[in-house]
Amino acid sequence: MTIAFSKKLSRRNFLLASSCAIGAGSVAMMGSRYRALAASKHVFELDDLANRDVFTSCGMCVNKCGVIARVRNGVIEKLDPNPHFLKSRGMLCARGNAGLDTVYSPDRIKYPMIRTGERGDGKFRQASWEEALDLVAKNLQDLAEKYTRAGTVFVSTEGYQEHFFTTFAECYGSPNTLRHPSLCLASNIQGFGATYGTNPTPDVLNADYLIMSGANRSEALITPDSIDMLTGEGGKRKVVYLDPRFTKTAAKATEWFPIRAGSDMAFILAMTNVIVTEGLYAKQFVADMTIGFDELKTHIEQYTPEWAEAECDIPAADIRRIAREFAAAAPRAVYYQGRRSSFFDNDTQMRRAMAILNGVIGNWDQPGGMVPNSSIVLERHDYLAPWYDGVPPRLDSGSASYLSEKDGSWKYFRDRVIEGKPYPVKGMMIYKQNPLVSVANRQKTLEMMEQMEFICTIDITMNDTAYYSDVILPEATYLERLDPIESLGGILPVVTTREPCIKPMYESKPNLWIIQQLSKRLDDEIYASFDFTMEEYRHHQLRNRPDITKALKEKGVFYEKTTPTYGDTYGKRLKTKSGKIEIYSEKYAQKGLDPLPVYSRPADIPEGRYRLILGRNAYLTHGTTANNAYLHDLMPENSLWLNAGEARKRGLRNGQVVKVTSSLASEQLKLFVTEKIRPDCVFMSHGFGVITSGQRLLQGKSGSDAALIEDNVEPISGNIAMHQTFVEIHPA
Amino acid sequence: MKTKRFAMVLDSSKCIDCKACTVACKIENKVPMGQDNYRNWVAEGPLRGKFPDLGQSFQPGQCMQCANTPCDHVCPTGATRVNRDGIVLVDDHKCIGCKYCITACPYNARYYNEVTGAVDKCTFCVQRIYRGRQPACVETCPTKVRVFGDLNDRNSEVSRLLVKHAYKVEKPEMGTDPFLFYII
Repeated sequence: MTIAFSKKLSRRNFLLASSCAIGAGSVAMMGSRYRALAASKHVFELDDLANRDVFTSCGMCVNKCGVIARVRNGVIEKLDPNPHFLKSRGMLCARGNAGLDTVYSPDRIKYPMIRTGERGDGKFRQASWEEALDLVAKNLQDLAEKYTRAGTVFVSTEGYQEHFFTTFAECYGSPNTLRHPSLCLASNIQGFGATYGTNPTPDVLNADYLIMSGANRSEALITPDSIDMLTGEGGKRKVVYLDPRFTKTAAKATEWFPIRAGSDMAFILAMTNVIVTEGLYAKQFVADMTIGFDELKTHIEQYTPEWAEAECDIPAADIRRIAREFAAAAPRAVYYQGRRSSFFDNDTQMRRAMAILNGVIGNWDQPGGMVPNSSIVLERHDYLAPWYDGVPPRLDSGSASYLSEKDGSWKYFRDRVIEGKPYPVKGMMIYKQNPLVSVANRQKTLEMMEQMEFICTIDITMNDTAYYSDVILPEATYLERLDPIESLGGILPVVTTREPCIKPMYESKPNLWIIQQLSKRLDDEIYASFDFTMEEYRHHQLRNRPDITKALKEKGVFYEKTTPTYGDTYGKRLKTKSGKIEIYSEKYAQKGLDPLPVYSRPADIPEGRYRLILGRNAYLTHGTTANNAYLHDLMPENSLWLNAGEARKRGLRNGQVVKVTSSLASEQLKLFVTEKIRPDCVFMSHGFGVITSGQRLLQGKSGSDAALIEDNVEPISGNIAMHQTFVEIHPA
Repeated sequence: MKTKRFAMVLDSSKCIDCKACTVACKIENKVPMGQDNYRNWVAEGPLRGKFPDLGQSFQPGQCMQCANTPCDHVCPTGATRVNRDGIVLVDDHKCIGCKYCITACPYNARYYNEVTGAVDKCTFCVQRIYRGRQPACVETCPTKVRVFGDLNDRNSEVSRLLVKHAYKVEKPEMGTDPFLFYII
């Protein structure tokens, strides 16, 4: 299959805006923050002063909730939830509402910039697009000649226009794309994938019994789970929550257990022990749909609730009771797998244990159980990546047992860049990812960046990574762009759209335009893969689907069903090698990995130190939104949570500034003395303690977790293991 | 036209303190930035118990749209008034910023808006509700803690909820006769 439309349509300037000054009349309509912007004489275009309500989708986190943007006099005045948007249950969270500030923040990157001082000095000059793009293209060519095309790494994270960036990497000829999953779901996907052949979605809405370990759904919002968790039928729903911290999910849970960090697998194995030894498992289901149950039966004998009590600090009687309740509620019972990075280096096996526990109670593809995702298929664009001779394989090849060829592993990749082995990587193209904030061991990321000969960042704000770049290209925000149509899989899949509410402000451009401009400068053969407008791209995606086109226009969302279908996979082969649920993994055995999850106790916390743990809150998305004015109002800084008893013992006071020291760095932040955390752990929020001076609200405030956390790794998936760092605390 | 009695019924047990309501309100009603400027809020209840036996509740609040309005009583210029449907409003032009009403309000539901030079407060989003829309906080809430409607309509959801559930109001001892009802 080839691209359906003619190349004659090429070289049209897509959303290419010429600037004109904003009229005084419309200025009067805006809020004070916006007025200040206009007064600063930054020129931007507003050619459409009509009042419009635009269906679009949120870009503040990964959920992509439905939004209606209320545009008045050419200004986005308010973002409202789209009531038709099934997946988000018609809601919009604090971040979604605050999305306005993404567009109107004074800290946006307004025009292309070229570094003039030393890296990290923050000295840049404004450049024309022409000059900046020429410079990037020249560097990409020079790097290819000096170091082969693998000498440049393409770093990016998810978003509706990320596809063009990774495609560009492929067409340029670099095997080295480095994405976010090794800081995120890689181990989860691996553990469930090895068991089920897919990573299913828990049917939270219909579950009667939910166990969440470290999945803080009331703060780490995931639609629709966060909402559905609180929508139990007549109080029938029970939520058991395990977390070293008393979070807002703990406040909502039926029972909370402050589990010892890193012992979740012991809890899961002990539950499995009870369910198997007491014969509470789904016998027919296990016989029909799984392989390796006999091996499990023997393997699980050692993991008694009494054994687990000592590991988890959860009474054996409770573990036994919860296991029995869980089995009794089956199949409407779910051990919820969460959605986060690895915390420990056994995370894939811990996920395997979760998958197996769900498997033996037979909740697979049942109401209230683990349901495989379905999705609505859109027409794909094909592209032809040119072939280049002499390009070596990925830099991190052969590192993790199951390395994703597309995503890579941040930990292994960065180490090898610093070592310069097996080959040098001297160029870095970055889209939307902010590794200086998101990757553990910030000092190492700086080392990696310092040895680069060229770094280009495409982003919307002057974050730490942009600050350390040589060229910065301003992208239009999610409220200013036309994006590809996006199909979101799930129990109830939807198709979403993202439409421009206003034209891109300042000189910002959509990523596709930036990629097209770079491609043109590199090679006609590369450009051929991007020779279309976004309108044409979308049109092609929706070819033969007038129903989707119509629904997106009328409701801003398309879906085929509003109630789940279950059981479609029964009687069919699953996508595992055996076609069944693999309790015992032959695949793992052949690779020399434990074919059944084997518990290993995390290292003891040394005397006088604490385990540093991480987590989310509902106001911030990773490192991307702390500088948002509305969200900053909710959370102006982070603090270090310390158990009240420990604080008393140490003579530390609430609110005092402390120095937190790990093996890597020291950071200073205020102490939050609370009963809400285990005495052996401390906690801090992510996204603060930035280096850049380009994020005004964050400058000089509180501490960075990325600076403190050691870059331990989960070796099966290559995921960073985030909870293996110990810190000392002293008064600052 | 028959008058309405607008009210809100809240089920705080569903509140996860995500503060979507707070941000939605700030933007919808152009409330200036800053933690001291707000038309609504989510109060973190006191932490109950000691580690590891803990409990905590979250309770959203805003102007209680009282029937017996201390803010109205103390206003020297008549800037605060109650409309025919029971909504307590402030007339920006009549407000002289003396802040008596802020002191008089037992719920701390009013603030002084530096931009407009007048005291400001929740209006149930009058600009929305008379056009058939929901207040911004109601519409945006993920777990749908708040339900808004007309108590003079016995078929409205608010009326039904108050028949079905036991409820309380905040500070009944103040005699303010509030119209925000919290399901117990």
